[in-house]
Amino acid sequence: MAQETIASPDLKFVNDVIKGGGESLKKCYQCATCSVVCNLTPDSTPFPRKEMLYAQWGLKDKLFPNPDIWLCHQCSDCTAYCPRGAKPGEVLNAVRKMSIEHYSVPSFLGRAVGSRQYLVLLLAIPAAIFLIILASLGHLSNVPRTGGGQISYHEFLPSLYIDSVFVPVALFAVICLAIGVSRYWKDMVRASGLRPSQGGIANLISATIYEILSHKRFEKCNVTKERKISHFLVFYSFIGLAITTAWAVAYLYGPSIMKFLGLKPFSWMLGPSPYPLTDPLKWLANASALALLTGITLVVVYRYRNKEKSGLGGYYDWLFILVVYSIAATGILAELFRLADIAILAYPVYFIHLVVVFFLFAYAPFSKMAHMVYRATAMVFAKHIQREP
Amino acid sequence: MEKKYGVYICKGCGIAGAIDIEKLAKAAKSGAIKEENIKTHDIMCSPGGIQMVKDDMKGGVNTIIIAACSPRVKYEEFDFPGAVTERVNIREFVAWTQPPMTDETQSVAEDYVIMGIAKAQRAELPEPAVLENLSRDILVIGGGITGMTAALDAAKAGYKVILVEKELQLGGFANKLYKKIPTRDFKEPLIVDTEVEKIIKEVESNPNIKVYKSSKVEKTKGQPGLYEVTISTNGSSETVKIGAIVLAAGWIPYDASKLGYLGYGVSKNVVTNIEFEELAKKGKGKIFRPSDGKEAKKVAFIQCAGQRNPDYLPYCSSMCCATSLKQARYVRQNADALAMIFYIDIRTPGRLESFYREAQNDPGIMLTKADVTGVSDAGNGNLFVEMENSLLGEKAKVEADLVVLATGMVPATRAPQEYLDGLTQAATKGDDAKKAYIESTPKPEFILNLDYRQGPEIPSLEGAYGFADSNFICFQYETRRTGVYAAGCVRQPMNMTEAQEDAAGAAFKAIQCIDHVARGVAVHPRAWDLTFPDPQLIRCTACKRCTEECPFGAIEEDEKGIPTYMLSRCRRCGTCMGACPERIVSFKDYSVDIIGSMIKSVDVPEEEFRIIALVCENDAYPALDTLALHRKSIDPSIRFIPLRCLGGMNLVWIADAFSKGIDGFLLLGCKFGENYQCHFIKGSELANYRFSKVGETLDRLQLESERVTMMQVAIDEYHKLPEMINQFVERVKEIGHNPFKEF
Repeated sequence: MAQETIASPDLKFVNDVIKGGGESLKKCYQCATCSVVCNLTPDSTPFPRKEMLYAQWGLKDKLFPNPDIWLCHQCSDCTAYCPRGAKPGEVLNAVRKMSIEHYSVPSFLGRAVGSRQYLVLLLAIPAAIFLIILASLGHLSNVPRTGGGQISYHEFLPSLYIDSVFVPVALFAVICLAIGVSRYWKDMVRASGLRPSQGGIANLISATIYEILSHKRFEKCNVTKERKISHFLVFYSFIGLAITTAWAVAYLYGPSIMKFLGLKPFSWMLGPSPYPLTDPLKWLANASALALLTGITLVVVYRYRNKEKSGLGGYYDWLFILVVYSIAATGILAELFRLADIAILAYPVYFIHLVVVFFLFAYAPFSKMAHMVYRATAMVFAKHIQREP
Repeated sequence: MEKKYGVYICKGCGIAGAIDIEKLAKAAKSGAIKEENIKTHDIMCSPGGIQMVKDDMKGGVNTIIIAACSPRVKYEEFDFPGAVTERVNIREFVAWTQPPMTDETQSVAEDYVIMGIAKAQRAELPEPAVLENLSRDILVIGGGITGMTAALDAAKAGYKVILVEKELQLGGFANKLYKKIPTRDFKEPLIVDTEVEKIIKEVESNPNIKVYKSSKVEKTKGQPGLYEVTISTNGSSETVKIGAIVLAAGWIPYDASKLGYLGYGVSKNVVTNIEFEELAKKGKGKIFRPSDGKEAKKVAFIQCAGQRNPDYLPYCSSMCCATSLKQARYVRQNADALAMIFYIDIRTPGRLESFYREAQNDPGIMLTKADVTGVSDAGNGNLFVEMENSLLGEKAKVEADLVVLATGMVPATRAPQEYLDGLTQAATKGDDAKKAYIESTPKPEFILNLDYRQGPEIPSLEGAYGFADSNFICFQYETRRTGVYAAGCVRQPMNMTEAQEDAAGAAFKAIQCIDHVARGVAVHPRAWDLTFPDPQLIRCTACKRCTEECPFGAIEEDEKGIPTYMLSRCRRCGTCMGACPERIVSFKDYSVDIIGSMIKSVDVPEEEFRIIALVCENDAYPALDTLALHRKSIDPSIRFIPLRCLGGMNLVWIADAFSKGIDGFLLLGCKFGENYQCHFIKGSELANYRFSKVGETLDRLQLESERVTMMQVAIDEYHKLPEMINQFVERVKEIGHNPFKEF
């Protein structure tokens, strides 16, 4: 016998979904076309029909502790076929945003990242931090160059300062994400009535990672099939850039660490930047940067191309896209201006680059960036409860 | 009238390509029809062809046989007032369905022409039966929105109207409504005033309308044009002369006390949709719940409450979905309030779909499919709506502070019908049972109180659940009592806008009836027909079959059981003609003798098979025409003879046919049962009933009963006909020739 549930409609939540990009929510009349056309949903109690109803009734307790909102990859097949123009893809996207906001800690940051009016403030924080550092170094008026007279961002803002900002920021992000995701997991366990168990999770995690790396879910989409390419490019360029960063860390701190350990530094540990374009690190870095720029451009192109069928997306999506775009663009431009020796442009662009990178890292647990972790968690959980193979 | 014949054979539309016209003309020659009476034309329906006939009429021709296309087409061209005109269908039945220029095709054509001549020889020019002292006034029963609209429409058309309302004031249910759904635009405002007061004022100030309030129809005597209606008001009675009646007696809400499982009667805060209107009206839009007068902020609407459920109301009342959406708007006049609608399906037909969409867009109007299983107490006067199979949960409940049951409409005609059906049933068990029934059963209020042999109210119709619905989908407003036109919710569940349209329709039907009666023409569906049944009562045995079987209750009887025809109630179907064992009922152009002589005029060669098919002219005949249009072939052994209604089928024709040597006899009637199609209620069914007695006739003739069969065909089933017919023909051929052929 199924357990009796008491549903408590919540008008405020409905209005929040509508404001958060789910304007079309109320158009749904539960015909279930969406669940039928969806290639990603499991066959039993399929999404997104039930999510549409939960959202219409403001039943966040049913929406959030549920892996389904994340199993959706917003192919928009449902949106394209919806006879009422209810755009389930967009509604679920809005719900996902609210879910991140719901689980993320501290919650005020979640709300801030999600709303337009805080954008300036959120940007002002890193800008202020870096301006203070630069001012204290006196580099706002007088920028030192390398011995060879080249523009040097390391001289402009020494890595130690950057790292002393970014390491805590990254730690903060990781901790926040970890808290958010564990809240999510626990909530799903509670809602599904599962007794928490650790058995076999490792396998599920590796299976999930394989799925993510292979991007095979995107292949099931029809309306936005090409999204696999753009997402693939962005995803792997981020990995490339992550490797680049680790690599650069090795270059930068390698020699000192080796010395500290009483060892002779390897010859390839070049020390502080800039590095020559012939160096393999630069190959990877530049290739990743170009891939990121291409990928994120394609994201924008595809979004516009499919806007009739799948919708353009809301503030939350575009904030993330613009941040990634800015990172790629300012990164590449900073390098170009440096090589071209146009200091007047190079330093400001680099400054912006630092601000947006900060934005990406610091707010990752609250921005769309968090989808990576939440979706992966949902996928693992879905496997865990055998909702998915 | 001495008959002077003109036989005209058309060569157009492929006829001359399939039939040897010269030979056909020769075959037509016989007795009174001389060679000079037979003419051919390339295109009969052309002005030249028509002129040819008209010229002959000037020369004295008064009986015209046109062998051309189906009588269902070109009826305006082949209209020759003053002459008996018989159409012989050699285009559809021969040229288009038989192989060209074969001997068999030729004999089919010749048979049809000879059958047509046989009919024309016996048919007479009809003279309309015009009754005297006719009233042209219209009685409208019911002063709700339907009745008032009907009265106004009839009055505007220049007719005097008598409007009878049983309540103290006009307006009906519209009086109880807080607001209504706008008629035209569903954007803004979404709910508008009913403006019923305006309509009441208009009715009461109209000089052509006389309003009787707190009144009932005590008795309705007579027939269209000659009704004498007794109206009683507070004990005093008045009799008025009436031409036709609009029945707008409306509906009553389904008895919600039967819905205890939905909390009705258990909690004060469970109300019906009508009670909710009253709450809204009382609070001027604010909803204060009955138990404690607190403003209701979470209102649950349970759709189909006791509807679409065989245990309660089996049908959908069609207006409740839009009504609940409208009432949700009342709730949502308070921005914090929630309206929750639990439905099986939302049914908002037509433009109401836009109203649904608009309501749905309101975040505070929440809707879900659900099988509501019950309503239970949630404390403090609040209630839980319990449901299954909802996306809210397999078993879920939602708390509400007020529950509205979307209960349905029960037609005012239902109670009297049920009572009378019960009485009829009891009467079959004898006088004692009937007496016991009358004593034990409370008599509901009757509406029409017809002084008819067949009963005082509109008879119940299978599958109509007590609604005074038409017998056939095409004939809205037509009840089975000619002259009584049903409109509004007594006919079908509907909303106010639809009821107003209905009212106009029924008012015009009533006007049409008055007009036709004045001209002595039948009303729908034979709205051109001047003929009428003219029984030779001297031979009547008072068997009462005609009075019982008349689908429209048109025949009364005197104390000896001799029938009295109330001609303006008659729709000229000929059911009485088929019923009469003495064969005394005839029309000028339609009688047992006429059809019999058509059958007898079919040539029956010894070596050939011949089959007669009597076909319903409303369904089977058009289906045959359509089949011909598609150039499907028909077995050449069959001869089709149209009947006004298969209910007019007389068994003697079968006996006549077989004695003449016909090998098989086919009856093609319309569909009866659940998917009934009959234009005359149950003609096909009656034919089937009579047909069940055909065995005796065949046994007497020592013939196989399979030689006669009856089939049902709908107008759109032409594609099934060839196989149906061919199978029968094959069966007859298997049985072999009729042994009477040799005699």
